[in-house]
Amino acid sequence: MLAPRAGKTSALWVSNSQGYNSNMRVQHLVCLFTGAVWLLALPARAAEDAFLPVARLLVKYCLECHSGPEPAAALNLTTREGLLAGGESGEAAVVPGQPEQSYLVHQVQSGNMPPEKTRRVLTEAERQQLVAWVAAGAAWPEGRVLDPYDFTTEHRAGKDWWSLQPVVRPSLPAEAADPWVRNPIDAFVLARLRVAGLEPSPEAERLTWLRRVTFDLVGLPPTPEEIEAFLADAAADAYERVVDRLLASPRYGERWARHWLDVARFAESAGYEVNTARPNAWPYRDYVIAALNEDRPYDQFIVEQLAGDQTGAEAATGFLVAGAHDLVGIKNIEGQLQQRADDLDDMVSTTAGAFLGITMNCARCHDHKFDPVTQTDYYGLAAVLAGVQHGERVVRLPGYEERLRHEPEVRRELAEVQARLRELLWMHEPVAGSGQVRPPVSPVGNVDRFLPVRARKVRFTILATSDAEPCLDELEVYTAEQPPRNVALEAAGGRATASSVYAGGALEIHQLAHVNDGRYGNARSWISAEPQAGWVEIELAEECLIDRVAWARDREGKYADRLATRYRIEVAPEGGAWRVVASSEDRALYQPGSPPAAPQERLPPEARAEHDLLASRIDELRAALPEAATMSVYAGAFKEPEPVRRLHRGEVMQPREVVPPGAVAALGRPLELDPAAPEPLRRLTLARWIASGDNPRTARVMVNRLWHHHFGRGLVATPNDLGWHGGLPSHAELLDWLADEFVQRGWSLKAMHRLIVLSATYRQASAPRAECVAVDAANRLLWRYAPRRLEAESIRDAVLAVSGVLDLRMGGPGYDAFEPNTNYVKVYIPKTNFGPAEWRRMIYESRPRMVPDATFGMFDCPDASRSQPQRPTSLTPLQALSLLNSPFMVQQAELFAARLRREAPLDTTAQIQRAFLLAFGRTADEVELESARAAVASGGLESLCRALFNANEFLYVH
Amino acid sequence: MLGFGTMSPHLSLHGLRLLDRRRFLAASGSLSAMALVQLLAQDGLLAVADSAASENEGGPLRPQIDPAAPWRARPSHFAPKARRVLMIFCSGACSHVDTWDYKPELIRRDGQPLPGQENLITFQSEAGNLTRSPWNFRPRGECGKYVSDLLPQLGGLVDEMCFIHSMTSITNTHGPGENHMSTGFAVEGYPSVGAWISYALGTENENLPAFVAIPDPRGVPQSAQNNWSAGFLPAAFQGTPFNAQRPITHLAPPQHVSEAGSRAAANLLALLNERHLARHPGDAELAARIASYELAARLQLSAPEASDLSAESQTTHEAYGTNHAHPLLAGFARNCLLARRLLERGVRFVQLFNGAYAMGEGVGNWDGHKYLKDQYEVHAPILDQPAAALLQDLKTRGMLHDTLVVWTTEFGRMPVFQKGAQGRDHNPSGFTCWLAGAGVKHPYSYGATDEFGYRAVEKVTNVYELHATILHLLGLDHQRLSFFHNGAEQRLTFVHGRVIEEVLA
Repeated sequence: MLAPRAGKTSALWVSNSQGYNSNMRVQHLVCLFTGAVWLLALPARAAEDAFLPVARLLVKYCLECHSGPEPAAALNLTTREGLLAGGESGEAAVVPGQPEQSYLVHQVQSGNMPPEKTRRVLTEAERQQLVAWVAAGAAWPEGRVLDPYDFTTEHRAGKDWWSLQPVVRPSLPAEAADPWVRNPIDAFVLARLRVAGLEPSPEAERLTWLRRVTFDLVGLPPTPEEIEAFLADAAADAYERVVDRLLASPRYGERWARHWLDVARFAESAGYEVNTARPNAWPYRDYVIAALNEDRPYDQFIVEQLAGDQTGAEAATGFLVAGAHDLVGIKNIEGQLQQRADDLDDMVSTTAGAFLGITMNCARCHDHKFDPVTQTDYYGLAAVLAGVQHGERVVRLPGYEERLRHEPEVRRELAEVQARLRELLWMHEPVAGSGQVRPPVSPVGNVDRFLPVRARKVRFTILATSDAEPCLDELEVYTAEQPPRNVALEAAGGRATASSVYAGGALEIHQLAHVNDGRYGNARSWISAEPQAGWVEIELAEECLIDRVAWARDREGKYADRLATRYRIEVAPEGGAWRVVASSEDRALYQPGSPPAAPQERLPPEARAEHDLLASRIDELRAALPEAATMSVYAGAFKEPEPVRRLHRGEVMQPREVVPPGAVAALGRPLELDPAAPEPLRRLTLARWIASGDNPRTARVMVNRLWHHHFGRGLVATPNDLGWHGGLPSHAELLDWLADEFVQRGWSLKAMHRLIVLSATYRQASAPRAECVAVDAANRLLWRYAPRRLEAESIRDAVLAVSGVLDLRMGGPGYDAFEPNTNYVKVYIPKTNFGPAEWRRMIYESRPRMVPDATFGMFDCPDASRSQPQRPTSLTPLQALSLLNSPFMVQQAELFAARLRREAPLDTTAQIQRAFLLAFGRTADEVELESARAAVASGGLESLCRALFNANEFLYVH
Repeated sequence: MLGFGTMSPHLSLHGLRLLDRRRFLAASGSLSAMALVQLLAQDGLLAVADSAASENEGGPLRPQIDPAAPWRARPSHFAPKARRVLMIFCSGACSHVDTWDYKPELIRRDGQPLPGQENLITFQSEAGNLTRSPWNFRPRGECGKYVSDLLPQLGGLVDEMCFIHSMTSITNTHGPGENHMSTGFAVEGYPSVGAWISYALGTENENLPAFVAIPDPRGVPQSAQNNWSAGFLPAAFQGTPFNAQRPITHLAPPQHVSEAGSRAAANLLALLNERHLARHPGDAELAARIASYELAARLQLSAPEASDLSAESQTTHEAYGTNHAHPLLAGFARNCLLARRLLERGVRFVQLFNGAYAMGEGVGNWDGHKYLKDQYEVHAPILDQPAAALLQDLKTRGMLHDTLVVWTTEFGRMPVFQKGAQGRDHNPSGFTCWLAGAGVKHPYSYGATDEFGYRAVEKVTNVYELHATILHLLGLDHQRLSFFHNGAEQRLTFVHGRVIEEVLA
């Protein structure tokens, strides 16, 4: 099977190179080629053989109308019975052995069929073939039912389309022995070049290659030190070590995550008119970065993104809901159904495009016009994903289980350390009434110490507040013993009464019971109903010896209003009289608005050191609690779905039959799934069906994406579409070899990167050569490395790296490129002042949907409205204005200039050379030096830096 | 033509030759296509290669874009009636039954239920009773067309207008509705009609963007940028947003940057790029990028000139109301005047917005759910005088002859008030937009809604047909103007649309 296929593809390839993209000639050849494969794949049966050519004609010219449940003119040409029965005309379409009696032959011969509007006409040879077949008895294999998708035609792909066939590892071409070849990739490339009479380009200079591979793998320029080291490295494996260093760098995941996030249409806002931010969407971004850095096997990467909730990678399902979602509620049912159908379409289309390279959304309203994908396939996938809802869910982050195991001892220690810290702070507070002025009251916490006294009741009376009715989030009464106990707690038998309760207790968050429930914060607080006044009394379970009362407005620190500024604390023993033990009289005056000094500020140095030790231990212990490894993440919510129905013409008000969960039939193996399978199992089953070495699309699609990013163009030029419109791969065998190698190497992306960037193909120089341009100007044959402009993120990251302010902190919430505001609708007003917070890599920019970054959006950043597997490289004068004049770029040029002054003080020439080295990786020559000196003289170092940031040499890799 | 024949501060003879050679290639046979393929690098633009071939079959037409001059004028498919378009977009859904669509029956049946729709739920809430417009209608112009007192000055120009009373939308939500009206698709991410037109035709003055979006002084509309997005088309065709209040972003460096500093940077940049180009002979994209800096330099001169309203006469200022005591009216008036100046200078497509969203429902736009009368009494004067002056000005200057004016909104409003409210809910089933100027009948009214203005019932039309008609007037075939993207030929009108022949003069 391999030999004829290889022969056909290379012949094909030559014509393809001259007119790529849905060119009739090419597609005709495709037809021949795929037909050949199909033929070879069939058992040789005589009837089938005689039937096949005519079957192909019927598919090509007739079945588009004459098939299905309601065939045109009631004539069904998919079966022998239909053929013999005929349609509305009442005549048999074919009378075997008698062409002249056959209605079908008449219609074709007279030119009535196919109808003119189809613009399809049988050739003379095809007509003769049809007549001859009828004359010979109209052979039709027993029981054979034709399917409009059976064959690829000049107009569409059939089930025999190349990318629907299993991946078969091709043998290496003879060129494998050529000295130019470094690995099998080169053998395939060289073989194609030779067929076209071309030779590869010479090797790129070392610096050129280093800059190329560094931007390619990590999205940043090589540093002067890295350049120096590589240029001086004469070892045989110098290139390999560079690649290994880059692939091991966390910068790699940050760079390549961007490519995947484009495909995943990831953005951190809802889109549509309100475009509300999704502040908890970033864990998906971090998941992708981590997965890439860890070289998570791609099959696992797939399963996690579709069903990570089932496999312990919760944030990964952010993939499913990374798209737009209309938050504006519509009251009428049609509008609601439409919104839901649009959400599902986004999920179905993105999933199919990202993993399978299928333009699934074409089958939303009708069977796909160009690929063998039915509407039923579409709604089958929709049924798999129908339980996925937009929104957040609380997820366990990595490390949760481990924390859960240690939780009891962590909690125990936390309680201990907190008690010690509290004790430390309190012991250094002056005792009330001791004559020493005590610090002013604080909204976040106060202690009133007094000499030990026996008490059955404690009363806290407020005489004045900062404003409005007073609020206490918790009132604590401690025993004079070690360790002290809070005996006010309801759990310890304390019973609270009060002068009044805010709003008569109508507000759930302000209740009397909250004053001794052991929980802090405004949401668990008591407020009186009296402006500037009120009291709370705690009756203890039994008389105790006590020596302090602790209280606060809001220990969580969110609220500073309603603070008791004048108060007194009284106690009474069992059956005895009240007496005052502490009051605000000896406290310093409270200054509203000025932040109260933290109590640790008042500690003597030794105690302060102990305090800081304890405080940092508390932070550690808190971070070790299970809840520190949970968060609410925009990763979708799941619920059991209603049955999914096929929508006639995709219209929500025209539901038809129920479609069970399923996959794409033309991809072979069906989805083995009970129609009543629970929601998570549906996704998990689909994920595993995709993430399989047997799936003819999965590995091909991914290696093609890798190739696309390494060379600027995939072996198939449309990475989300390996169907009809994607055309043929430029190197069909190379694609299959890579796909097979990918699976063999355990779906390791890093292994594939390494293979590709260490190939001789990748190492070629970029200069155009006339003889090659004449044959293959588009470089589909890969006779050179095609130069490329940096993508938006690389430009920004490189600018920050060169100016010296790049902040390499990884992960967590992104920085915002827009001013905060609280409008009815989020209005995205670009920031014009930037500081260190914005100087992280651009992958960490919170990217709202549809709103481009004011400076770099112009450089073809996707708007995340839908999956975008490749970015155009457009040129507009507004890009020039942005790089020249935007506040961000002007500031970066100033920072770059400051760096030069720091690193090469007082010497303009050294500054210029340092600038060239940082920006271009090389020093300036005499002419450049002279012009740069002139620029510095008239415009300062900043002018030099602005020029370098705008230079083509900075913005292009060769 | 201002272009590479003139001396450029940035581009050497070497660069010029390279560009000229590539342009020559682009204009000739099939090999040229491959040269472009190399330049444009991506599948979408690859499609350029096919245009010559498909021309013969009535297939897709994809204009050839010179990356060094994406805004250069390109020929239309057939002789155009209009050379440029002004679209006035009233954001928030301007009520047709309170403006252009006179319904005597609605007045007569005021206070009664909408027959057959007693339990109707529209967008926001349940429907109340039929409610006549708070404004009276009276005959206007020579033709005597009835228009309400809400917009008296625009109403006075009915003789110029070609009303389409049977417009419909596919959605009743603002964001998707604006998307649909601006791009043909309710979902986001598709190119705006202005982007399609500048992709097809470029512009007659390359020193200004081909497509300018003028947001309202109050802010951007519901769908914001998506209204002027290039979608999957090259970024050069995105609408450039600016108005009389906020100039083009980054047109000038921050104030503290000296002119000498900028000049020094530009001179050094020119030298660096030139030498770089010499080291990489044959890479036309590098030369094109140098040219884009030249274009940027010209834009820096021409945009402030075009935006300088002080050159206009006192009479003009007064007619538009640029100094009106109402600051929003004056602000919108300045935007109207800016629009005329841009059209006059050859900008291909100007999308002028009236209404913004940030302040919320109905406060800064036409979304009159609850207090229709109060809110429209604020919004209408802001629109009326300036927009009427603009239309009149275009006519006086003879520009209506080859300028198409389109007044529109995302959908209409219900003839009933919302239950328990003093305003109207969304209504995509029938509403009004109007055309004026190049190639359209006037005065003329096309189609009609039912007796209450609830549904379009006569010559029902839609946004696809409106778009097809706009393209047609510009000499473009909406079924053939195409861009290949994501596995399909993409069109402004998707798989829909027909030219509304009846409105063509």
